[in-house]
Amino acid sequence: MTDPQIAIAMLAIFILTIFLGFPVAFTLMAIAVIFGYYAYFDPSRQWRSYDRLAENPDAGSFELTIEFLGGFFNNRIFDLFVNQTYSVMSNDVLTAIPLFLFMGYIVERANIVTRLFDTLYVSAKRLPGAMAVAALATCALFATATGIIGAVVTLMGMLALPSMLRARYDVSFASGVICAGGCLGILIPPSIMLIVYAATSNVSIVQLYAGALLPGFMLAGLYMVYVVGRAAIQPGLAPKPPQEETDDLSAGKVALMLLTSFFPLAVLILSVLGAILFGLATPSEAASIGALGGLLLAVAYRSLTWDRLRESVYLTMRTSAMVCWMFVGSWTFASVFSYLGGEDLIKEFVLSLDMTPLQFLIMAQVIIFILGWPLEWSEIIIIFVPIFLPLLPFFEIDPLFFGILIALNLQTSFLTPPMAMAAYYLKGVAPPGVELAQIFKGVMPFLVLIMIAMVMVYNFPGIYQWLPTQIYG
Amino acid sequence: MISAIRFIDQLSAWFGKAFAWCIMVMTIGISFEVFSRYLFGAPTSWAFDLSYMMYGALFMMGGAYALSRDAHVRGDFLYRLWSPRTQARVEMVLYFIFFFPGVLALIFAGWKYAERSIRFTEVSVMSPAGMPIFQFKVIIVAAGVLLFLQGIAQVMRCIVCIRTGEWLQQQEDIEELEDQILRQAHEMGLGGSAGSSTQDITESIVDDAERHNRRG
Repeated sequence: MTDPQIAIAMLAIFILTIFLGFPVAFTLMAIAVIFGYYAYFDPSRQWRSYDRLAENPDAGSFELTIEFLGGFFNNRIFDLFVNQTYSVMSNDVLTAIPLFLFMGYIVERANIVTRLFDTLYVSAKRLPGAMAVAALATCALFATATGIIGAVVTLMGMLALPSMLRARYDVSFASGVICAGGCLGILIPPSIMLIVYAATSNVSIVQLYAGALLPGFMLAGLYMVYVVGRAAIQPGLAPKPPQEETDDLSAGKVALMLLTSFFPLAVLILSVLGAILFGLATPSEAASIGALGGLLLAVAYRSLTWDRLRESVYLTMRTSAMVCWMFVGSWTFASVFSYLGGEDLIKEFVLSLDMTPLQFLIMAQVIIFILGWPLEWSEIIIIFVPIFLPLLPFFEIDPLFFGILIALNLQTSFLTPPMAMAAYYLKGVAPPGVELAQIFKGVMPFLVLIMIAMVMVYNFPGIYQWLPTQIYG
Repeated sequence: MISAIRFIDQLSAWFGKAFAWCIMVMTIGISFEVFSRYLFGAPTSWAFDLSYMMYGALFMMGGAYALSRDAHVRGDFLYRLWSPRTQARVEMVLYFIFFFPGVLALIFAGWKYAERSIRFTEVSVMSPAGMPIFQFKVIIVAAGVLLFLQGIAQVMRCIVCIRTGEWLQQQEDIEELEDQILRQAHEMGLGGSAGSSTQDITESIVDDAERHNRRG
């Protein structure tokens, strides 16, 4: 077998092992070390000190044996491995991950969702499908601040879904709104997924945030238009509440409610984002300020207890370990893979297909879409996206654009079976009688909207280019 | 064997949780840098080194703990369909092929790397403060050793499972909010009356939800 073929075997074994369900981070590490040992095997280097000692007539057989055995450890893969590990440990983009996670865990526990949903419902009362609009806005804002989808969907499933069902909203409609809204956090900056993509692709995280902001708002806007429009056309899906319940609160009261619930969170997000986009602070610095702001917010809402702080700290550590260990394995894996020539082989193969850039783009996105069924976003971005990245220059595709398409695309991975986490979380907390099939039916229109958003971003590059050029010229 | 598993679990948890507090040091340290830069016009010389050292120590030392809690990402869509015995058999084999080689390499290579750094008492070149950095490189070895021990515990878990036919119960620990809520919802029979719970956070969320429902 030639080296590139061995590289392909390495990839095949890895994919097979993923399907067996072994933790991905360690599989990557072990396969990288084993194949790397083969790739960097160099007999002259391996036994250099043994050979030198062997020339010396005084050398005892004990020393010779030690040197001979020690030779087995004299392989460049070990240096490569530890260097890659250290570069993950000292990577200044990835430092933002635990900080944003910490901010998310703190905000998640700040008892803010109820307040937010109540306020937004009162403010949106005049609109058709007011409760769905409020649920969507709450999901979007909360998901943006926390970046974690499970918490948003379950919290809203406990809170907003029963309210909507009591108001005789359609089950599918109501659950679709919550599932789709809860996933927006992975797209709208400051999103953790985009940091991971930045670390994988070497696109500047600041540019990526600037680029993703408008597409994120656009998708949220499309959702909003859909919810309001559908509720206006089919009032049966989201009936207006009876008259006597709608006319109580004064404008001043509503403003006060907004001031104490909506604005603090919005200001927190905007100041974190603003600091990053205008270059006042690095993403990690902005994330620390965000985490500090989250702590203050939790104190202000009197919800910061010692237990919750401890829980947030430990969960931050656990989730950071989960994401970052995957980088340790993946960077070593990628080096060995490309050293063996696997990358070139894939490049030649794809180029031999003679595709247009659009065809390539569609193929890549379809593959990522399909990978999203069984796998999680972190595996896809850290492990599979790097296979596509070296191909982008040949098709003259901007990696920033590619990243935004992936972020849009991966929204669907939470919404489509068999691993539709958002739908399962919602099902887990929904009142009896809400079926998984109904949730999927409600999610369907949002999948179409995601596709529309991807097509729009492709056709109107201004959507993602405008803000970065405005700020950075 | 079970007490050995529990002991290693606790060891990993202790180290992981001790290093988890790095996140607070990081938050406060970097925030101080930002305030100091903008309010007093005096940027610090140590905040940058501090940030990546805390981050690196945090996630490296959390690896073994995450393993003991089964928190590492796995593509488990087939795995979850198998019986616990099959899961344990497959997993035990995979630990020997796909876990120990990588972790041993990490310990071995990390040691060579850290030892060189200790000999020079290496300092960081990233900033003028000259923060010592050799202790940070020792983290690689420490994390590797913890992972190795945890790997032994995981293999023992598999052996216990093959014998008894079911996985050893995890001890109580922190949970993600969604898991807390899901458990709560399950105990309530999905939206029934609230059960008693020890977790004040879930209680308050459920209370909030109920209060809201009465109003809405």
